[in-house]
Amino acid sequence: MSFADAVGSRRRLGLLRVLLGSLLLTLLCRLAYVQLLDPHKPQQSAGLTHLGSIVIPAPRGQILDSSGRVLVGNRSTHVLTVDRSTLQQQDDQGRSVLAALAPLLKTTAADLQREITPCGVRVPAPCWTGEPYQPVPVATDIDASVVLAISEHAEQFPGVAIDDQTVLDYPGGTLAAHLLGYTGAVSADDQKADPKLVDADTIGRSGLEESYDSVLRGTDGTRQVALDARGEAVGAAGTDAPTPGDSLVTSIDAGVQALAEKALYQQLMAQRAKGKPAPSGAVVVEDPHTGRVIAAASYPTYDPAQFVGGISVSDYAKLTAPGADDPLVGRAIDGAYAPGSTFKLISASDDLMTGAVNTTDSYPCPGSLNVDGRQKTNYDSESFGGPISLQFALDVSCDTFFYLPAVAEWHADQARVDSGQQPQEQLQKMARAFGVASSPGIDLPADEQASGSIGSRENRLALWKANKSDYCAAAKRGYPDVANPTDRAYLTQLASENCTDGWRFFAGNNADTAIGQGDTTVSPLQLATAYAAMVNGGTLFRPTLGWGVVNAAGKLVRTITPSVVRKVPVDRAYLDFFGNALHFQANHTVSGALAFDGSPTQTLIGGKTGTAEVYGKLDTSWLASWGPYQPGAPVGDSKYVVVGMITQAGTGASAAGPMLRQIWEGLLGANGAAPVTRGAKPVSTLPAIKPSLLSAPASQAAPSPGGHATAGPSSSPDALPTRSSATKPAKQASATRTSR
Amino acid sequence: MSLTLSQRTPLRAMPDPRRLRSYDWVLLLAVLALCCIGALLVWSATRTRLVADGANPQTYLAKHLLNTALGAALLFVAARADSRVFRLIGPVLYVGSVLGLLAVFVVGSTINGAHAWIVLGGGFEIQPAEFAKLGLISALAVLFAQRAAARRPGTPPGPRDLLAAGVLVVIPLGLIMLQPDLGSALVLCSATLGVLIAAGVRARWIVGLLLLAILGAVVAVKAGMLAEYQLARFAAFAHPGRDPQGVAYNITQAHIAIAHGGLFGQGLFHGAQTRGAFVPEQQTDFVFSVAGEELGFVGSALIIALLGVVLWRGLRIAAASTGAARLIAAGIVCWLGFQAFENIGMNLGLTPVTGLPLPFISYGGSSMFAQGIALGLLQAIHRRSHR
Repeated sequence: MSFADAVGSRRRLGLLRVLLGSLLLTLLCRLAYVQLLDPHKPQQSAGLTHLGSIVIPAPRGQILDSSGRVLVGNRSTHVLTVDRSTLQQQDDQGRSVLAALAPLLKTTAADLQREITPCGVRVPAPCWTGEPYQPVPVATDIDASVVLAISEHAEQFPGVAIDDQTVLDYPGGTLAAHLLGYTGAVSADDQKADPKLVDADTIGRSGLEESYDSVLRGTDGTRQVALDARGEAVGAAGTDAPTPGDSLVTSIDAGVQALAEKALYQQLMAQRAKGKPAPSGAVVVEDPHTGRVIAAASYPTYDPAQFVGGISVSDYAKLTAPGADDPLVGRAIDGAYAPGSTFKLISASDDLMTGAVNTTDSYPCPGSLNVDGRQKTNYDSESFGGPISLQFALDVSCDTFFYLPAVAEWHADQARVDSGQQPQEQLQKMARAFGVASSPGIDLPADEQASGSIGSRENRLALWKANKSDYCAAAKRGYPDVANPTDRAYLTQLASENCTDGWRFFAGNNADTAIGQGDTTVSPLQLATAYAAMVNGGTLFRPTLGWGVVNAAGKLVRTITPSVVRKVPVDRAYLDFFGNALHFQANHTVSGALAFDGSPTQTLIGGKTGTAEVYGKLDTSWLASWGPYQPGAPVGDSKYVVVGMITQAGTGASAAGPMLRQIWEGLLGANGAAPVTRGAKPVSTLPAIKPSLLSAPASQAAPSPGGHATAGPSSSPDALPTRSSATKPAKQASATRTSR
Repeated sequence: MSLTLSQRTPLRAMPDPRRLRSYDWVLLLAVLALCCIGALLVWSATRTRLVADGANPQTYLAKHLLNTALGAALLFVAARADSRVFRLIGPVLYVGSVLGLLAVFVVGSTINGAHAWIVLGGGFEIQPAEFAKLGLISALAVLFAQRAAARRPGTPPGPRDLLAAGVLVVIPLGLIMLQPDLGSALVLCSATLGVLIAAGVRARWIVGLLLLAILGAVVAVKAGMLAEYQLARFAAFAHPGRDPQGVAYNITQAHIAIAHGGLFGQGLFHGAQTRGAFVPEQQTDFVFSVAGEELGFVGSALIIALLGVVLWRGLRIAAASTGAARLIAAGIVCWLGFQAFENIGMNLGLTPVTGLPLPFISYGGSSMFAQGIALGLLQAIHRRSHR
């Protein structure tokens, strides 16, 4: 122990004192610097991980008609939210708040507690799927009385808030449903494609809502909240207000749209009353001089409001059920059907341009014609006794008149093929020039517009390759389920021929093409666009629905103009000749005029009927019409092209005719009623949009087509030689409801 | 019999005034003040999180107070240590803690990346490394005292003494480094250094040992003398939490908390960082950030000052005593002093982040118990030298 008292050892303890003292002094200096002297104090906001964003969804822009009437508007709704973080700061962790809230919402406190508890490994559904710091929406569209009860006693409901949320509103109900389209909740795939999308966003899923989604969506706002390490909100950190989406002014005229939908619905019902299946139909009204679509009606239809906030699984299942007849498919634009005699505009153009016929001479129109050993007849084997002129052939719609040049063209082509040359297929070229078999390019989603098809060698081979195995299997089986032995034999022989020779494009096929039958299909929109080219002197437009984009301040930020696809390769004189030849003037022989007998519009329009035969079904009834123009006046005076189509209804004059008569009388005014649109012509200037209109809930509602049911039942499926698009499954819709 | 009891009871209830005076009251009051501040800080650091979990917000506080009470009991028991205890305490604590460190590898649990705990059940676990600090200090002190008695008076410890000390140090140090627990290992080294300095080991030996330790560590790692898993554990020293982001986050959040305390702090229970539980481990390793934010410079400096008082009184006790007792006192002071520096230093961004509690403040049973015993020993030394 002697060393312990040594001087050196005492000095050693002094050394330790100095060492430890200097350590503590270092700490004090550093502490003083960090707390008192540091001019650059670190800020919590620097750590992004500790700010949470609560998305404030931007109100979607509206969709307006050509006069500024609201087609899709916004409606504000009360959403009740509960903020967990606030509740948990209460002495009883918010139990009393939930207990007071539950009876108002007609639920139980236990259910509310479950709903606001963030989902976790050990938390069973129902639970809150969002971030823990986000206020949880527990009830939407809540009663005014509940709003009052809560806002009057706000102090009893800490953490409970009533938010005004805007949701889409359809003042016109089902009006123009297929054009407007529907919206849905954001899916994981959407977020992959656009990382800016959040769960709370609404995204256009079809129609204009989809094609103009980026215009309509706007920019979401955010409310920043400071978060603790557990992800609970501890305070607000700032708000970034949402920018509402721009609004889209369309060329749709709500009045004309309602008129078209009403006429379509009433005519379908009238046909059904007569015992015709008439499951579906469509109408397109286009401005031939601009290419703008003024109305496009399709039946059956659906209610886009069903999709607001996410469609329920059962509602979606109903819309897509096999017997529902695909109400989500807009047949006016997305359905392709054999055009029948309305196609003769194209065949006649080809015949005139190739010189096969001229406008003055007469050509045969036999009641029947033998092509490749097969009898091809006129409708009801009608004969008009001796050669007739092109005008008369168009007026009475003689089929055999148009067969002869088509058969001749085929033989010339066959000679070219046999000698190793390419076929010219002039008829097909003319059809393509009028837009058949290519997408019309309207400003709707690409998969919602039918391209149609044109019967040709190439098309035939492609079809055969696709269907060969089916043909051969059917030929082998022999249609045992068909009762009628004649039908059975016919079908079996057809299948057998198709199996072996289905790739061959015969002369008869070319003849069928010339009268809009066989493999040729078009959509009502394509036909309207082709006839618009006839009316306007040969300009084929890429039709549009969008006209202008208006921002929230009411300022026009973009004008949308239809572009010109091409000039059709037909002399202006011939197009004018067609227009005049098919005028419905009184006592004229034009087949379509029959339905207009007694109507004041009869002397003001022209039109071409079509009656497309479908094996085993009633005919598809077509009428393509234009006007108003005086007899003898240039067809270019016409303001509208109106195309109507009803499936399984009969001749063009008997079904589509009366439907279009109703539309024309509305368009031009009849029986003392004023025209639906002022001046009986399309709206030519963009409407002035008041900012208030865009922010306020729809006050100026679009007219409704009249109280008719949507997606009405039909007696038989809509089976026509349509391309698959008419029966394609509806596009992916988010078949889930967001929480509550 | 009953008469005897009734006569003895009042005597026990009224402690001998001389015995009370024999305590170092300044040291005791400074520790009491630190413990009170610690309890409040632990409470503040844990209550909001407990509320959010739907648990009783006082759960941690209650456990902390229980730990503190047990630590105080150990203090008063240890304060009664006599010379026989001082001869025994070194070997007993040392062997006991080494056995505990070995047991960790058999039945231990991993918490925060270190395999350092033995879970006892009922929400209690024990960390043998905390006791190893005291065990090593006592064992070294007894070793040096005994060998000094065998030497010619006035001569400093020689190479043989240092070799023996080295053996004592390497066993617990190696076990702790395998856990791996860099903080405790550094505390062991610094406490050993304190004992060596106090024992009068020549300065050139001390400097040489320091250099040798550094060289040895470098060679061991570079030469691949260590197994793969050992290297991995050493790598964890350099990157605690194995996630540099995680450590950087910890440092940043603690810095923000302390910086926003200012002069007087945001008030107990009112620190935004603390309430938000932004700083991980804010009731244990980062409890000083709570003090910084809620009590400000005044409160934090008070903690440092109180710790300074503890160290000052400890060195005073050491100076007043002799032999093994002086070395134990010096070792304890160096342990507590270095641990406080390392802990507060990492809160302030001065020292690397290691898992060490702030003496008398942090939540944690084992450290509280070991510190209780250590303070009790200081009081016992004080009482012996003031008899």
